[in-house]
Amino acid sequence: MSISKSGKLNFHWAAIWVIAKRELLQFWRSKTRVISSIAQGFMLLIIFTFGFSSFRFDVGGTEIPTQAFIATGMITLAILFGGIFGGLSLIRDKLFGFLKEMLVSPIKRSEIMIGKTLGVGLQSVIGGIIIMLISISIGSFPLELFLIIRVILVIPVFLILSIGLVGIGLVIASKMSDFQGFGLVQTFLIMPMMWLSGAIFPWSSVPVPMQVIMAINPVFYGVEAVRFILTGVANIPIYVSLLVISVFSAILIYLGGRSFTKIEAS
Amino acid sequence: MTEIKSNSENIIEVNDLVKIYKQGNVKAVDKIFFNVKKGEIFALLGPNGAGKTTIISVLATLLFLTEGKAIVNGYDVAKYPDKVRKSIGVVFQEPSLDGELTGRENLEFHTILYSMAKKIRTERIEEVLELVDLKDKQKTYTKNYSGGMKRRLEIARGLLHYPNVLFLDEPTLGLDPQTRRKIWEKIKELNKEQQITILLTTHYMEEADELADRICIIDHGKIIALDTAESLKSKLAKDVLAVELENVSNFNELKIKIEQLENIEQVKVVSESDQSQDMVEIIQNRLKKMGGPMANVSPEMIRQKMRKGMAEAMKDPVKFVKNLGKMPGSFEMFKYIPYESKKGIADNIEDNVLELLPEEIKAELIQIKKGVIPSKLSQDNILKINIACESGAKSITQVVQLINEMGIDIKSINMRSPTLEDVFLFYTGAKIRDEDSNRVKGIKEFIKMRKLRK
Repeated sequence: MSISKSGKLNFHWAAIWVIAKRELLQFWRSKTRVISSIAQGFMLLIIFTFGFSSFRFDVGGTEIPTQAFIATGMITLAILFGGIFGGLSLIRDKLFGFLKEMLVSPIKRSEIMIGKTLGVGLQSVIGGIIIMLISISIGSFPLELFLIIRVILVIPVFLILSIGLVGIGLVIASKMSDFQGFGLVQTFLIMPMMWLSGAIFPWSSVPVPMQVIMAINPVFYGVEAVRFILTGVANIPIYVSLLVISVFSAILIYLGGRSFTKIEAS
Repeated sequence: MTEIKSNSENIIEVNDLVKIYKQGNVKAVDKIFFNVKKGEIFALLGPNGAGKTTIISVLATLLFLTEGKAIVNGYDVAKYPDKVRKSIGVVFQEPSLDGELTGRENLEFHTILYSMAKKIRTERIEEVLELVDLKDKQKTYTKNYSGGMKRRLEIARGLLHYPNVLFLDEPTLGLDPQTRRKIWEKIKELNKEQQITILLTTHYMEEADELADRICIIDHGKIIALDTAESLKSKLAKDVLAVELENVSNFNELKIKIEQLENIEQVKVVSESDQSQDMVEIIQNRLKKMGGPMANVSPEMIRQKMRKGMAEAMKDPVKFVKNLGKMPGSFEMFKYIPYESKKGIADNIEDNVLELLPEEIKAELIQIKKGVIPSKLSQDNILKINIACESGAKSITQVVQLINEMGIDIKSINMRSPTLEDVFLFYTGAKIRDEDSNRVKGIKEFIKMRKLRK
């Protein structure tokens, strides 16, 4: 990454885009992945919405409908899964040797990382949008004209959040040489991030120690931001949530870039 | 900014290159130095694990060197990796295509990474597709390509951006003879018609012999010999007597006896001809036949697993033995362990450990313990040896006489010119006694260590 005299970032954007495009193309071509990601979100959405139908959800002192609470949670979780698992797909590139093709080309390591992040990030944003559309179609949110604006406003939040999450996947994958550590990542990273995100139960109703633990989970702020934009209520002020996820993503872009410059491949 | 080439004739200059892998503290390359001239085909020849791929990876800036200096196309690989990358094409040992993309898409991806102008792109893609005869398959997903097609497409891809140097890491590994021939033709064509310098690694003697202007023999990360194929051969000997010995029973004893042949005047080297196949290839083929998720595992992965397996065996042999049965291809691996090593294992293995082994391996070990030579050997208990000498015609009588005196039956004798294989066996220390005593010593050491730890 270098900055020219005019202050413009000197990236080889065509190369970055072709790397990103490859990710999207792969996602599109493997129909099983598209279908399973939609089906998974759909199932969780239906199961939790009906399963929790008699529960009352309190967010920031206001009670919100079960279906809206669950839908905002599930949309964010779709981005969590899509982001981290997508980032981990770097291991596949390693195993099938394609990473070498990129590493030996004249483009910079940071450019490979950005391309990969962008591609996988967009992929998980699309996943999030799909779940959002499904939830709208099953009536999770009241149908009003203002909803269109909410939907448009929430998409940038998806992107910021997913960039950070993809970054986590990439940093981990850059240090792994096969899928053996995959279970560990799932158990000790993705599961806690999911359960402690406030996506499934409300933050305000758990004991204080757990509230503190949840507050160090970046996904929690993602859920808060998405929930605020889509329903208008949140525990944390929206500017705090947005700031936290932006800083989180910036840090992971930096870490990702650094871990890529250290990748050796023989 | 750019390094001035010290000698404009050389396109690659490697000076005292050292590469130590931090993981496991392995010295893969030890003070290697060589130059490659412009327009030359240069081969790095050596057994698996000799350090060939490491050298290529360092030159292609994929690995950081530990010590020394390497210059490619006038640029220091440590200081200007980006510039080096622009001027080289690399075809890796393992396939590095994206199976989810078509042949053409793989090439398009490459042209964009190398910032080729849009106008040149399509034209050049057509050109290289034509060159490797893949024009009719360009719209097929590369996961559906055969091994040879993948290799050809990768060579095409390596050439797309007009590199000055093309690195080919084991270009014909695991390919059938016809495909291998075809790829050789292409490589020669490229070198001649497009004046591309080619640095290739291989462990196939014929390949180095056929292609390379100069050959650099490497073993254990060190250079053993460097010259043209012709002078490597003529330096070794004028003639080679290939002798087949019959009714062989005690290999160890025999090999020590045979070494005495070197006492004959004008006989230079006696070596056992190498009949063992590449273990990695055997395992890979077996996995391919088995199908399923393991079918496309790369040789590198297999090698890694084998290394890991050895490390485990050292730590906890009982657990290793237990797992042996579950590991695909384990019995195949065991089959290719040399008889002496099996004997070493059989003599020292405890009964309770023996019980844990898969039935086939157990049975074989028990047989060996009883002193029975395994069926594979007893069927054709023949030992093939090569005797390099100044003049075959002069030495032949003495050789026959001495072998007869030892009481060994001769099945056949042939006289031939030395091949690169003879040179290789000579330089990589395949002198019979050395190698075997080391092997047996290694096993004894291992077993001793194990007992110490208990």
